[in-house]
Parts: sequence; structure tokens; C-alpha cells
Amino acid sequence: MQASRARLFKEYKEVQREKSADPDIQLICDDSNIFKWTALIKGPSETPFEGGVFQLAFSIPEQYPLLPPQVRFLTKIFHPNVHFKTGEICLDILKNAWSPAWTLQSVCRAIIALMAHPEPDSPLNCDSGNLLRSGDIRGYQSMARMYTRLAAMPKKG
Amino acid sequence: MGHSDAASPASAAAARDAKKKRGNRTAAKLKQSKLETRREQWLSGQGKDGKETKVAALPTGAGSNAGSPILASPHPPLPRRRADTRSRGSDPEDREEAAAATLEVGGSDLDSPMHSPVSDKSQGGGCAQRKGFSGNGGGPSLSSGSSVWSSSRSVSDAEEDHTGCPEDESEVLDDWEAAADALYDDDSHCHQSSVPTTPPPAPTNAAPANAARPEPIRSKARAWAPDDIFRPQSLPSISKQASFPASIGNCWAGMGMSAAQQGILSLPLSCPICYEDLDPTDSSFLPCPCGFHLCLFCHNRILEADGRCPGCRKQYNTVPAAEGGGGPRATMIGREMANIAPVRLSRSCSMGPRY
Repeated sequence: MQASRARLFKEYKEVQREKSADPDIQLICDDSNIFKWTALIKGPSETPFEGGVFQLAFSIPEQYPLLPPQVRFLTKIFHPNVHFKTGEICLDILKNAWSPAWTLQSVCRAIIALMAHPEPDSPLNCDSGNLLRSGDIRGYQSMARMYTRLAAMPKKG
Repeated sequence: MGHSDAASPASAAAARDAKKKRGNRTAAKLKQSKLETRREQWLSGQGKDGKETKVAALPTGAGSNAGSPILASPHPPLPRRRADTRSRGSDPEDREEAAAATLEVGGSDLDSPMHSPVSDKSQGGGCAQRKGFSGNGGGPSLSSGSSVWSSSRSVSDAEEDHTGCPEDESEVLDDWEAAADALYDDDSHCHQSSVPTTPPPAPTNAAPANAARPEPIRSKARAWAPDDIFRPQSLPSISKQASFPASIGNCWAGMGMSAAQQGILSLPLSCPICYEDLDPTDSSFLPCPCGFHLCLFCHNRILEADGRCPGCRKQYNTVPAAEGGGGPRATMIGREMANIAPVRLSRSCSMGPRY
């Protein structure tokens, strides 16, 4: 537990130091609990998520970094590998492919990469997965873009 | 004698305070360490702290010559000059301190004949007892850890000083040496028990005779110049000590490592898992063929968990499993040690007693 706290503190300092290193990721540590983090990530360009800002919630186990952090989307997103209701993310590095060498920052990058490259064969959102698997790219993109507009963009007017 | 009695604890306390204040700053404090060794030499007379005496007695060559006033004078200026040249490039404060310390040394020269016989006797006790003595100093040996560092530095300096102006003392010391050798033999047998109790009277014949003692010692238990062929391999070099925390790369360079090896070894400065700094043992620890560096603590923790390398996610113990499940970590270290250059092996050995 002490190790995880120390490591998270170092990561926090790292994040503070390189705030502008990755403009697409903003990592914020909970004021009172270093095991709770929030991240804001920008939807990658040339995807239906472009222009949206998605909020992620990190819940970090005490065995971190030996165990992966639990990450879920707080912002609604239409993506085959994200549960539409809970925001749970199906990503190998958050499960069995986790390595202690990963950081919260790199997890955010991996999630951005997942947004750009969905894996329809292990879907958490079956509707989204089925659209992609049936080759209806246009259907998938329009649904995803709609939800991005609805949930991940500032309301207009 | 009463005067010097009072003077030496004062200077000793001053030295101790100064030492503490500076903490583990690694900048060369030549004069300070000289003072330190002098203090320890004095303390070792009472505390019988032979381990320190072994090192500390060496600068006595300069100090204890104060028994004969003619000899006392040539020495202090010389080390000061050395200190100045040495501390060039480090902060000017050092130079100041060096100069100040020189003054103090000059003052404490007065009392050195008084205590030098004691330390010489405890030295006469022979190598066998040195180990046992270490740590007997009680309170005074609090700073022994650091003082070993500093005194080992000053020892080599003393030797340099000695080679710099040997003719000053040699003619005077020659016959003292013979007398002292005789005394030495007697002392080593008879005086062991009496050593701890002595603030010795230092009669006028005894003082010069004992003052000469460091001369033969210098040839026996002397400090080694960095290029001395008789220097034990296990002895860490002074330059390494100075640069140790700052740049590991320098150490490897000092150990004759090739540039390529340096590149590999000095790349990760902190463990990618816990973000703590890697010490040299960790840096040379390559548990996985993929070359992923991590500290031994994290490696152990990972072995207790899923046992996969964080770099390539392959099982760590696939290879050592064949060697028995007893201690995968130990066997891996063993393999690691076998693979690396012997230079590094000797280095990690020499690290052992230091910590």
C-alpha cells in the first residue's frame, strides 16, 4: 500500500511537471484521495469522437502498480468496447495484459488509441459491435458522432 | 598539559559539530577530515577504537611531529595549498573552510604528542583486534561511518604530503623509528590492558619516540594511492566515493567499463515501477532477457504476484524454474553475476561492508 501511494505521488508530480506534454490528456487527482483520479481526454481526430471531451474515472487499487487501475467512462460514449450504461472499458491492458510499467498517463493514451481503433470482436456494447461487424461503418460512425455531440460536447445555446 | 587537555576536546567538538552540519555533502573537505582523523585518533586512545585508528593514525605523521617544533611548521601550509588546488572547481566555501581548518590543525598540533602514543599502542595491538574494536568508541564513533570516508581520503593525502616532503622528517625520524619499533613490540604485548585508561603522561622521551611510530605504519597499514599496485582490489576508489551519488557513469568508467556497457547500465536512473532511484546493484540487475530494468524490491513483489516481466509480460521464472523453485530471485542474481564482468562483481563485493 505504501508503495502504491509513493508511486502515485510520483506520478502526480510527473503529471504536474509535464502538464502540457500531452494536450489531449488532462489528469486530475482527487483532492483528498490519491487513489481516485479523473482524466479528461479529447476524442481523437478523424474519428466520430473528434471534438468531444470524455471524462474518465480512475479507481486505483492498493496493490497498484501490480494490479491495474479500474477505469471507466463517466461520459456516455457509443463504442463497441465501452459499456454504454456503466462506462466499463474492455481493454486488455486494463485486465490480463496489464504491466506495472504502465502509468495512468499511458493508460489514457491506450484508451485514446482504443477509441480510434475499436475491437468489435470483444464487444461490451453489442449494438455498436454489431454495426461494425456487419460492415455498417457509416451507421456506426453516425451513431457514435451523435452520442459524442450529445454527451461529450458543450451544449450550444 | 592542562592547556592542551582542554584544547583538544574543544577542537574535537568543533570538528564534530561541523561534520554533522555538513551532513553527507561529498565535496572534498580535506582539512576538515584531517581534523576529524585527529579527533578520532584522540578518541581511539580512550575508546580503543582500533578500526579508526588504523586509518586515523596515518596523518599523525604530520600532526605528531609537533613534538619537535621544528617539524611542526612545514606541514600545515603544505596541505592547505593542496586543499586549495583540490577544491578549485567546487564552491568557494570549501576553500574557506579548508583555510579555517588549517588554523585549527595548527592549534591542535599541541596535543597530538600526548595522545599519539595511545593510538600507536592500540595500533600495536595488531590487525587481529581491529575488527573487535570497531564500534567500541561509544558516543564518539557516531560519526564513524562518515569519518571512514573522509579519513580514507585524508590518508591518501597524507601520503601524498609525505612523498611531497619526505626529507623534512626522514633524518630526524630515522633513529626514532628504531626506538619506536622496539617500543612497539613491547607495547603490543604488555600495554594492551592499560590502553583504555590512559590519557598518558607523555614524558619527553616517550613522545618523540611514539611520534615517530607512524613512519613504519605508513609502510604497512598505509593508504593506497589510486594507482598503487598493492592496493586491494576490493577497496573502493576515492573518486568513486566522491562521485558515487552524483553520476554512476563515472564509477563505471573508473572500473574500466566499456562505453557500451555504461550506456546500458546508466540508462534508467529510477525504477519504472516504483520510481525510486536505482542503486548500482539494481542497475546491474537484469532479471529478464528483454532487458527491462527494475529494482530488486519491485522484482520481488512481482514474483510474489503474477511473476511476469513488466517489459515483455513473459513469465520471469520460466528459466529458473528448471533450477528448482527455491529462490528464483537468488538464482537469477547468481546468473546475473556470472554473466557480468568480473570488475562489476568485485565492485558489488566492495559495496557490501560499506552499507
